[in-house]
Amino acid sequence: MTSNPLPSNSCRFGGCTLTGALSVTSHVRDAVSIVHGPNGCTHHNFSLLHATALDNEDICIPELFSTGLTETEIIFGGEEALDRTLNSVTRLDPAAVFVLSTCIVETIGDDVRMVCSVPRGVPVIPVPTAGFLGGPFQEGVNNALIALAGMAGPAVPNGGVNIIGEKNLEYEVNENFAEVARLLDTLGLPVNIRFVHDLNVDQIPLLGAARLNILRDPALEPVGTCLLKQFGTRYIPSFPVGISDTIAFLKSVADTCGLDCREPLEKERELQEEIFCDFADLAGYEVRLDPAMTDMDGIRKVREVADALKLDITPAGCPVPLPADPPVGTAGMRRMLHRWRRSLHA
Amino acid sequence: MKQIALYGKGGIGKSTTSANLSAALSLQELDILQIGCDPKRDSTRMLMHGNFIPTVLDLVRERGDAALSISDVVYSGFNGTRCVEAGGPEPGVGCAGRGIIATFQLLEKFGALSGDVIVYDVLGDVVCGGFAMPMREGYAQEIYLVTSGELMSLYAANNICKAIRRLSMRAKSRCRLAGVICNAKDQLREKELVEEFARRVNSALIQFIPHDRIVQIAELNRKTVIEYDPGCPQAQRYRELAARVMENTRFTVPTPLEIHDLESLAIEFM
Repeated sequence: MTSNPLPSNSCRFGGCTLTGALSVTSHVRDAVSIVHGPNGCTHHNFSLLHATALDNEDICIPELFSTGLTETEIIFGGEEALDRTLNSVTRLDPAAVFVLSTCIVETIGDDVRMVCSVPRGVPVIPVPTAGFLGGPFQEGVNNALIALAGMAGPAVPNGGVNIIGEKNLEYEVNENFAEVARLLDTLGLPVNIRFVHDLNVDQIPLLGAARLNILRDPALEPVGTCLLKQFGTRYIPSFPVGISDTIAFLKSVADTCGLDCREPLEKERELQEEIFCDFADLAGYEVRLDPAMTDMDGIRKVREVADALKLDITPAGCPVPLPADPPVGTAGMRRMLHRWRRSLHA
Repeated sequence: MKQIALYGKGGIGKSTTSANLSAALSLQELDILQIGCDPKRDSTRMLMHGNFIPTVLDLVRERGDAALSISDVVYSGFNGTRCVEAGGPEPGVGCAGRGIIATFQLLEKFGALSGDVIVYDVLGDVVCGGFAMPMREGYAQEIYLVTSGELMSLYAANNICKAIRRLSMRAKSRCRLAGVICNAKDQLREKELVEEFARRVNSALIQFIPHDRIVQIAELNRKTVIEYDPGCPQAQRYRELAARVMENTRFTVPTPLEIHDLESLAIEFM
């Protein structure tokens, strides 16, 4: 039995397991997701996914279906409703179907796994996502990624690198990916697959072909560990944030892959220096970092940027915007500094 | 309108007692409604001469609640007793507790909860909130425990005392323990034991119903004892029960026992 998560965990790092899982499964573009529960669970999440996708200029309608449970199914059991929905959804010929559970079906004890195990000519993958069991948004993300990884078998190594667990709902998800891809490219490493962002089902078998996995952030460790066990692929636990972290990231990737990184590291340091020169006009400004949306580790790394630019951090300073997620890599830092300049010169 | 509910361990004879009680009450020229609140749906069968009546939940599932009216769910049985079966899911799926709640809401909507006495015959254990529904505000205010002298039966009765105590503490709750009915299994000193149990949980033995083969014979003839053999001693005991239920004014908040107290009580009367 699970206990109530602490109230302190229920704000930004809380949320619903189901939403987290849908943020992953809805990015498998040729698959559909069935939410096994009342209509509202689907509607609410559809709106959220649609709105955040639009925010990222991604005009894509998430392929969500609901089993539309009402009181009758709650009393008599919802397995038949799931079976019916699966039958009608598989007629649409999706490449795969993900079945996500909700609070109520776990409460009444529907055997979702059993219904999903009936052969239907398409892969039907159950993802446990009942929110009341205490799992926050992140647990839904992890559960979905681990369930999807189960679709991949052994693969011929291709030397690429997987990007694991991108935050599909974050603003700048693509910019952050591009920056990590650029950093990998400086080491001569191609990206294998984005697991899962804008992915097709036939790409999933490539998951095990990578030489390295890069997790979006350390909360994905259970996924990293799972992939390590399943394919023997080692992982880097997070995208880099800030100046020294970006250098450390490059070094860590190179070391794990047995590559010589002296030249790429030197070039990256030069790039960072160029940026500091570009923003030299900010030196001496008094600024205030508003930590509302960023954790302490993120603040520390942003502070490193401010210190390098010789900004004066004081409570009376001009407030400068911090992204909800700390800036990824050198390019993320540059975008953040552009925003700071606009604030300071406003 | 008097609303009473019978609770007790599964198989202890709640439905037999309820049906005979309803039959006996109907003979006092009272308008009786018996509601079976168990997915097994056999509470009213003896009042209906062996017929299983359609359950509220089956009807809702087949036709939808908009297409139903009071005449679809209420059936007339022995001597005009009105019978309702809540029904519920097949064993092992769904949520029977929610089924009870849905049934009650529907019966309210139909205005079916009327008459001089409503007898709620409820599933053995109060396993979840749904099965405590008949004890909630607006429904049964008088709860009778049906038990034998067997420890497991007393244990279940004691658990139901806990539920009554919990519910009785709620705002506006008028749910109280009204008494203990001993449906005996022919144990030695059984009456004394159940009497003492009733006293210790702050209630009283309201009727002792000895084991009598006539109950099985009447059931095989698809009738209550009251209907099958009104002159037999067992029928008289059910009529006495009916009279006591109507006269009863002692409604208490029960004081459930700890398990070791219950065990030592059983040992005392061994």
